[in-house]
Amino acid sequence: AMLRASLRQVSAALKEGRVTPTELCQRCLALIKSTKFLNAYITVAEETALKQAEESEERYKRGQPLGILDGIPVAVKDNFNTAGIETTCASNMLKGYISPYNATVVQKLLDQGAVLLGKTNLDEFAMGSGSTDGVFGPVRNPWSYSKQYKENSVPKSHSEDEESNWVITGGSSGGSAAAVSSFTCFAALGSDTGGSTRNPAAHCGVVGLKPSYGLISRHGLIPLVNSMDVPGILTRCVDDAAVLLGSLAGHDPKDSTTIQDDFKPFELPNLTDVSELSIGIPKEYHAPGLSSEILALWSKAADLFKNAGAKVVEVSLPHTRYSIVCYHVLCTAEVASNMARFDGLEYGHRSDKKESTESMYAATRREGFNDVVRGRILSGNYFLLKENYEKYFVKAQKVRRLIANDFVKVFRSGVDILLAPTTLSDAAPYTEFIQEDNRTRSAQDDILTQAANMAGLPAINVPTALSERGLPVGLQFIGRSFQEKQLLTVAKWFEKQVQFPMIQLEEVKRHDSSVFQHQKSASFS
Amino acid sequence: VLNRRCVEAAVMTGLALKCSINKKSLFDRKHYFYADLPAGYQITQQRVPIAVNGSLSYSLCIDNKMSQMVTKTVRIKQIQLEQDSGKSLHDDTRSQTLVDLNRAGVGLMEVVMEPDMCCGEEAAAAVRELQLILQTLGSSQAVMAEGQLRVDANVSVHHPGEPYGVRTEVKNINSIRFLAKAVDYEIQRQIEELENGGTILNETRAFDSKLGCTVPMRDKEGKQDYRFMPEPNLPPLILYDAKSLPANMNHQQVINIDWIHERLPDLPSVKREKLVEQYEILPEHSFALLNEDGLAEFFESVVKQTQMKPKKVIGWILNDLLSHLKQHSLTVKESPVSSFLLADLLNLLEKKEISSTVAKRVLAELWKGEGKTPLEIVKEQKLELLQDQKELEQICQAVIDGQENE
Repeated sequence: AMLRASLRQVSAALKEGRVTPTELCQRCLALIKSTKFLNAYITVAEETALKQAEESEERYKRGQPLGILDGIPVAVKDNFNTAGIETTCASNMLKGYISPYNATVVQKLLDQGAVLLGKTNLDEFAMGSGSTDGVFGPVRNPWSYSKQYKENSVPKSHSEDEESNWVITGGSSGGSAAAVSSFTCFAALGSDTGGSTRNPAAHCGVVGLKPSYGLISRHGLIPLVNSMDVPGILTRCVDDAAVLLGSLAGHDPKDSTTIQDDFKPFELPNLTDVSELSIGIPKEYHAPGLSSEILALWSKAADLFKNAGAKVVEVSLPHTRYSIVCYHVLCTAEVASNMARFDGLEYGHRSDKKESTESMYAATRREGFNDVVRGRILSGNYFLLKENYEKYFVKAQKVRRLIANDFVKVFRSGVDILLAPTTLSDAAPYTEFIQEDNRTRSAQDDILTQAANMAGLPAINVPTALSERGLPVGLQFIGRSFQEKQLLTVAKWFEKQVQFPMIQLEEVKRHDSSVFQHQKSASFS
Repeated sequence: VLNRRCVEAAVMTGLALKCSINKKSLFDRKHYFYADLPAGYQITQQRVPIAVNGSLSYSLCIDNKMSQMVTKTVRIKQIQLEQDSGKSLHDDTRSQTLVDLNRAGVGLMEVVMEPDMCCGEEAAAAVRELQLILQTLGSSQAVMAEGQLRVDANVSVHHPGEPYGVRTEVKNINSIRFLAKAVDYEIQRQIEELENGGTILNETRAFDSKLGCTVPMRDKEGKQDYRFMPEPNLPPLILYDAKSLPANMNHQQVINIDWIHERLPDLPSVKREKLVEQYEILPEHSFALLNEDGLAEFFESVVKQTQMKPKKVIGWILNDLLSHLKQHSLTVKESPVSSFLLADLLNLLEKKEISSTVAKRVLAELWKGEGKTPLEIVKEQKLELLQDQKELEQICQAVIDGQENE
């Protein structure tokens, strides 16, 4: 069961020679092919991946692997620049764009021997909470095809095809979450601006880590909101996330917003005694629309800690209810600024309109961006107008400070970690999700996740249990700035307690047998 | 990522211009769409620039003969760091614009002056002094023709006692001479316009050096809202001085204003004072010496090698040497006559072995660069001053005799 192993397990297997990097790579590539219907990947870099795998194999043969990541197949969200491999941000604006450089985090992965399988699908320019609004189509949640979902979901009618019953991955890093969840890679990079790593992690039943702002370099991550974006880590278990974090974190001279302090990678201790721990339950996160199921799970989780001897207290983050509006103002303002560079002149799509530079810009941008992106640009520019700047932008920054201070106060009062739901409910069926527009959905879905982005705090989604419909539900832990070790240690303990079930996908079983087979079957029982 | 050298240059310049250096300054984005601005915004310092409230002293000649100099001051509003854009070249014949992005993103220092100058001559003198300061500091080579120093002039007119009039911005000025011309033209144009009952538009105009006038620049429609926003990728710039410098800070990561102050070279004004004091030359001489690259050093070198008093040497430098250089469009460095040769010549003059008329002739001869020494030329052409009384009497007698015969 190599494909379903954790990153650390498979790394040990590589080291011991129980599997070779090329074999591993080939299996992943084959699985990607047969799970194509998930639409998790925009680009599969088959040739380069196999080459990287071969080089890794050479190193293992010489007994000189670069480290724990050597030979490990990984995937990267398509808003990270990858040299020589198309980077599209799921937008017409960048279709066909080949970047001349690697994002710092991509370079770090490659320098440690990781095998880059491909670029994963997302909402266009990472704007969205469903991974449904990219030009390459929506990503399907692998759990839609799981035994657990099929057994528990009530089809609307018997004649209804499975096709229309599939559920979303959440977003915007849906492709990365689906890739990890369906075992096509052992870790994936996402990005998290308002919850875009944690949200799909929760819906796809994987671990999604949002690191502290300033810990991991954003150089090469095509920016959405410079003051909130962070590269996100998606893995199968918390220990794997710690491994990725260790290889990515640290000061980057090319990103002036990374902190200067030395970062020391760590191994997570196996926490047994939680009596020293103080867990905070933010009462405002009992948001309108929170499903009773998740509320119950949240409660159960709190009890879990209590019964194990930890101190569990209700806390208040009073400015939570202003965070959505505040986030929208600041997010759209920065988006409007960051999208100004897409004018069709230097790279990317360029319209055929030639009458004047202005008309070329206007046409290029109308053709290149979907309406979600255009909507945010227009709003953002509105907020940045001279007459509106004080009323909206500056005000929102002040509110942002208040929101961040809420957390500071709570952490100062002795609370170590906050425990909250990640999403309002389990994954919605696609047909239901698209009934509302992107803005509405984002406003609803971001509510539990974006305060952590505004405050720059680390947060992690841990898959907790299956819902009644057989779909994953996750809970998130929010920690103090730069205290990832403590955060992940607690998350690991919790993970061990809940024993979240493994997804049962027929496709994967076929690919993961010890005899390597090429099976192309369209049916999944 | 912020360029350290740019910050250092800005601090040096700010100190040289007697500004207060802001220990904390901020970066902003200024948004507008243009072909030479690839990001759609320029990073600049709109809210809190790196240096403010300085002054620049410069000198003018009252008449054109450089015999009376008066000192003026222009206040420096601020110095800000910002990004350069690319370069647009308009090809009207093919209706296209070519964009060169090589310099886009490179750091610039913008020095903003207050409207304390009243004519082209003052503007030119102030900018010339600024140019010398920048060159002395090493902040920039400040050659206008190469775009290393770019000057935009803001001009307005008003009746004495009334508030300042509407200003126009004049761009495309490529030399100090053109700056004076452009400013004076614009002043005249505005006066004429107003006297004819017209109004001045707050517009941007381009200087046409061929025609010697300013013309409105096309494609400027209305006032732009630049939608300023703090630059999220650049944290506030913190500068330290000896007092505020934290003890265990890695000195590679910080800039110490006091440290920079201690290492400032002598500014032109200081250099001039020293020249005047040391060599007893006139202030206008010191200006002329510093106005030509390398001339002051040449002068000092000659002084060292000759017995002639500096007060006399200066004439030879500023009148003779300089006019030869200008005639042949040479820089001091390219002079075919070295300081050694000139000093040698001046020694001959000082010892009264030749007359000053002869000295000028010899200099012209030396200029040919044929490798002869002054003494060789004098001997060859028999230009020596006769000192022998008897010989002189003989010659005079011969001349008189010759006259009588006619």
